[in-house]
Amino acid sequence: MAAVLRPSLAHKLSAALAETRLRLLNISRYPGQLAMEIIIPIVFASMPMLLGRASGGGAAAENFAANTGTANYVAYLLIGSNVFTLVSNAFWHVAYWLRFEQETGTLESVYLTPTSSLTLVTGVALYSAARGLVAAGLAYIVGCLIFQVNPLQGDVLLALAFIGAGLVPLYGLTLLFGALVLKVKESNALIGLMQWVVSFLMGIFFPVAVLPPLVRLVALLFPPTWMTNGVRSALLGVGFFFGEWYLDLAVLWVFMLFAPLFGFWVFNRVERNVKRNEGMGQF
Amino acid sequence: MQGQVRIENLGKTYHARQRRGLFKSSESRVEALKGIHLAIQPGELFGLLGPNGAGKTTLIKCLTTLLLPTSGAAWVNGYRLTEQDNLIRATVGCMLMGERGLYWKLSGRENLEFFGALYHLMPATRRRRAAEIIDLLELGEIAERAVETYSSGQKMKLAFGKALINDAPLLILDEPTNTLDLPSARELRAVVGALNERGKTVIYTTHIMSEAETLCDRVAIVDRGEVLALGSVPELKASLKREAVTRIEGIISNAAARAVEGLPGVSRAALAAVNGHNTLTVMSPEPRAVLPRLIEALTAHQAVVQKIVPEEVTLEDVFIARTGRTLADDTRVK
Ligand SMILES: Nc1ncnc2c1ncn2[C@@H]1O[C@H](COP(=O)(O)OP(=O)(O)OP(=O)(O)O)[C@@H](O)[C@H]1O
Ligand SMILES: [Mg+2]
Repeated sequence: MAAVLRPSLAHKLSAALAETRLRLLNISRYPGQLAMEIIIPIVFASMPMLLGRASGGGAAAENFAANTGTANYVAYLLIGSNVFTLVSNAFWHVAYWLRFEQETGTLESVYLTPTSSLTLVTGVALYSAARGLVAAGLAYIVGCLIFQVNPLQGDVLLALAFIGAGLVPLYGLTLLFGALVLKVKESNALIGLMQWVVSFLMGIFFPVAVLPPLVRLVALLFPPTWMTNGVRSALLGVGFFFGEWYLDLAVLWVFMLFAPLFGFWVFNRVERNVKRNEGMGQF
Repeated sequence: MQGQVRIENLGKTYHARQRRGLFKSSESRVEALKGIHLAIQPGELFGLLGPNGAGKTTLIKCLTTLLLPTSGAAWVNGYRLTEQDNLIRATVGCMLMGERGLYWKLSGRENLEFFGALYHLMPATRRRRAAEIIDLLELGEIAERAVETYSSGQKMKLAFGKALINDAPLLILDEPTNTLDLPSARELRAVVGALNERGKTVIYTTHIMSEAETLCDRVAIVDRGEVLALGSVPELKASLKREAVTRIEGIISNAAARAVEGLPGVSRAALAAVNGHNTLTVMSPEPRAVLPRLIEALTAHQAVVQKIVPEEVTLEDVFIARTGRTLADDTRVK
């Protein structure tokens, strides 16, 4: 008998990578999507850039520096729009994966197997992060070249560290969202709403310091806010929330510990609840 | 533990929300399983026979951990349901919902290897397993093509292949021949039979009487969430020994059927429509004696009788004897 009763870490990793591979195979059959993912953040960032030039005139850069700590508003906005791409992709990919598989019927097939949802989500997250990082990285570099600023200024490694540390809690949070999708069986409207709330909270185009205190507090409970500011501080020197890079990074580490745990706890509860009622396959 | 699968008093109630207008909704309860008791022995080819809506799929979804039962307990391959679900999933091969369970953008081989990975087979093992299954089911010619290009029979075959990927000792198949034409269905049943010969325990769900009759060692007849009868095919038929079955074909109205059922000496009469003809199945302990009265009653109700055949008892007759309905009737719990 081939059945594996006590899967080792290697077995689980192999299952997660198979899920990653499946996602990649699937998307490789839609190449237009990838091109879009690179163009959209550039267009997205160029809108406020042009607005800034229109309203700030020749002094745009100085005014911007006075409020944000850097005169390089091009890179500032591109970082914002690209981190947003990472975040919104993460939510999209996880929610869309669940919803699509529920509708096509493969979710039940997957739930028949002994692979846990933790392993599956890890596989999907790997795929999503790889896809998001490639798209955001390219969009940032191409955008910088188009607007003629140096993309590789400041401490690039530190910026990557913030992105790396931010991705884990981010995917933890996507589980909350995935649970919601399983429960209400609706993804598009939810994702749409989610994107706008997130883009507002994480400060794509502005420092969160300009938000009213209560909203700012909510924004600071959201890991991508720290990720965005961390990258901006590392590359452009806008200033860490706690003054030092390691303090801000430590905050992300705390998120890294708790967000996935919380996400899984909620996801498992919803899973049980769905099984108690109509089952995963109903949509 | 007794048996490879043991089910004790298993119940499942669905709570379905029904929309009544934009903001109003009410909850309706559907009792899909009402205290099922069953024990399936190692090596058995066990049939679950029942009409649409009987609860067969619900029972299978409970046993394969897709649904949490509302009450009762079950053990599958010696593992306790709801407590050792991962071990149950690892040791069961299941075909559910046929072709819908596959990734249509991937090839047949990619599908098999992917599911192999989810059963925790390492790359070399899952490649070997996939190749074996492709051989066994003669899918070689289409294995590298995207599933979306398959005919629906080929998709069903692949879905069946997916149930074999983990080489589990227990196969649970939910209407595996559902959309197959007759020769392909026969072929698939032959493979199931051969796998059973080689030691796999099989639970086989169907609403087609002849399928259960030809294939299964033992059959449980289920209806409206309950097991009505349980035993080997000969045992079940023997339970109707005293009854003889007469089939009458022709143009027969419901009223005529009811009149026949009311005749003295007739214990059951059930009407089924097949290809525009009606077939009236009549059970009676003394068929010769009731025949004249029977024809009289039919003609009185303007029935046109084309054929009268005295027949062997089938499993469907067992169902009719217990419920007064045929297996073709939709008996979804309302
Ligand atoms: N998600 C659900 N919500 C509410 N009721 C349901 C749900 N799924 C199934 N039912 C009901 O439960 C009963 C049993 O359904 P089930 O699918 O188990 O029957 P079945 O024997 O598999 O029928 P078929 O031969 O048509 O596949 C039916 O009355 C069905 O309408
Ligand atoms: Mg069914």
